[in-house]
Amino acid sequence: MLSKLRHCEKACIKLFLGILVCLSCNHLAVANSSDGFTLTQQQEAKVQDAKLTAVMAWHGSSPWVNSVTLGAKEEFKRLGIEVLAVTEAHYDPAKQISDLETLAALTPDILLSLSIDSLSAKPSYLRLSKAGTQLVLLSNPIAGFIHGQDFAGLVGDNVDGMGRAAANLVAQAIDSQGKVGMIYHEADYHITNKRDEAFVDALEQYEDIHLMVKKGFVKKSQTAQLTAAMLIQHPDLKAIYVSWDAAAEGVIESLRIANRKDVKVISHDLGTNNLLDMALHGNMYGAVSDRPHQIGTLMARIGAGAATDVSTPLYTQVNYNSVTFENIAESWRLAFKTPLPHILKSVLEQSQEATGHGEDHDAR
Amino acid sequence: MMHVKLTAHTLVYYAFAITMLIFTVLLSHTAFFTTANLLNILMQTSPIVVMAIGLSFALSVGHIDLSIGAIVAICGLVAAMLLQSYGITIAVVVSLLLGGLIGALNGYLCERLGIPSLIVTLGMLGFLTGFSRQLSGLQSIPIIDPQFISLFGQGTVIGIPSQILWLAGLVFLAHTILNKLRFGRHLFAVGASKPAAHSMGLVVSRIRVCAMALSGGFAALAGLLYAGRMQSARYAIGESDLMALIAAVALGGCSLLGGRVNIIGVLLGVWLIGCINNGLILSGFSSNEQMMVKGIILIAAVIVTSKVNK
Repeated sequence: MLSKLRHCEKACIKLFLGILVCLSCNHLAVANSSDGFTLTQQQEAKVQDAKLTAVMAWHGSSPWVNSVTLGAKEEFKRLGIEVLAVTEAHYDPAKQISDLETLAALTPDILLSLSIDSLSAKPSYLRLSKAGTQLVLLSNPIAGFIHGQDFAGLVGDNVDGMGRAAANLVAQAIDSQGKVGMIYHEADYHITNKRDEAFVDALEQYEDIHLMVKKGFVKKSQTAQLTAAMLIQHPDLKAIYVSWDAAAEGVIESLRIANRKDVKVISHDLGTNNLLDMALHGNMYGAVSDRPHQIGTLMARIGAGAATDVSTPLYTQVNYNSVTFENIAESWRLAFKTPLPHILKSVLEQSQEATGHGEDHDAR
Repeated sequence: MMHVKLTAHTLVYYAFAITMLIFTVLLSHTAFFTTANLLNILMQTSPIVVMAIGLSFALSVGHIDLSIGAIVAICGLVAAMLLQSYGITIAVVVSLLLGGLIGALNGYLCERLGIPSLIVTLGMLGFLTGFSRQLSGLQSIPIIDPQFISLFGQGTVIGIPSQILWLAGLVFLAHTILNKLRFGRHLFAVGASKPAAHSMGLVVSRIRVCAMALSGGFAALAGLLYAGRMQSARYAIGESDLMALIAAVALGGCSLLGGRVNIIGVLLGVWLIGCINNGLILSGFSSNEQMMVKGIILIAAVIVTSKVNK
């Protein structure tokens, strides 16, 4: 009985998300994609006059989150909006609720947030939006929230597209044939779950690629052990897909220890360590990168618009691109809008000289 | 003029008072001292205080309970699942019994097999964490029962939030057990010296198992408070509270080796950590800066404690 109820509940949630995605796609056509929301000069002047305040309540901390925060802070500064506080919940839903309650005491005009558990955080978000705070969500939708009333907009990645791009990179790395392993994020987390699912679906279109083994991880520190076990059970693997960059570091560490330079690694997001490995033609073959800085910029702009009664889009999607040795530098700039780290720059230059690649190609 | 000597027992009172004084100067322009924010702090820290009380019972007899966070999660999940089919009474009773039984099992394994509680409860932490993940399928279990939400989460009685009433009631209960009842004196006697307690005719093993069962029971109550506040239960709830708990009981003047517990000190220890968290956020400190400041405060507290103990 209980399992049937839970099954029905899951089906309802999936149906809701499906409807939301359909609605989102319709809006996407209107709202464009990357620079999907802009304010006119008059609207910007109105924002500046309004002397708004903003807060951010993130799920955790990482270079990716830092880049979103930086993008948002820069846009807020440009629009004359004061950032009162930024919190991060260490992936703990209870801490995120406490953070939201604390931030509510500051009575901000705008809140940017990524919910860890939309179910438990919903009442806290509602309390803020009812008090007049404009909520802009990142990636994870909140079931039952009404656009324009409970939240100003949702900014997200094209998770299906990113999963497909990762599958294409795997095919590219192994010439569309061979055995592949997958190390996926075994937790209830919308972005990584959807991306991993899309990867598996897209890989099925390659008849000669066989997904031999899938192992889940809870903490990124587990991926080295999982890789070692995977290699013992399936020594003929040609590539391993990992859910995200930091988790891929353990996979590469394990491959180095096993002296398996032939196994290629494909992941999501950009991190200096793995890009160094990619620049040196190590195990890291490719990654799919989104645009965290742009996400922050868009969220800030949507919040500012909503706080000054400008109509804002329900869903705004940012672009992504496949990253391989050839376009590391350009992809970094697109993602973070910061200069390439010095160590990566010098390794990349040396490597490009050795291989005869003079400059970066277009990131797409 | 009354002089209160600075000891490990009284440290938390000074630390709390000094922190409030500093906050009065530094945070007077922020929303820190608003009623809504102070109520926020009380409600946010309620489940942690209840967990800390549970840990205090374990510490009173010289045990430590590292599985508290995992008991919080499993009891919250069980309550949320039972609520859907059997209603609030069954859900709450089963959840509390489960917490007590897990605690008693921890205690039994320690006593019967002579394994240190650190190892037993570490193993139980691992088992329960995996079991919670399996049971929930990594999903949050929603709670829509209005009675449950009102009782453990958002409800009020004559304007006082139910979470604060639970907190007050449980602090009073724990303080009474430890300081007014014979059982409390037995706990301290066992914690101070097992051979001496044994020679006094006390059944040391039974008392230690009871203390661990109380620890589990309080953890289960914390799970219900978390579930009520979040209107859902999740496998990871309570997971990250352990360090805060240990810091709070240490600040509160409890001995991590057993035999000395101060419930009011523990309460102030948790509130102190909660106020510092809240104050740092309102002051605009970044997450990294908050962690650094909390670390410095903890080290300073331990230094002062060790100095005043000499």
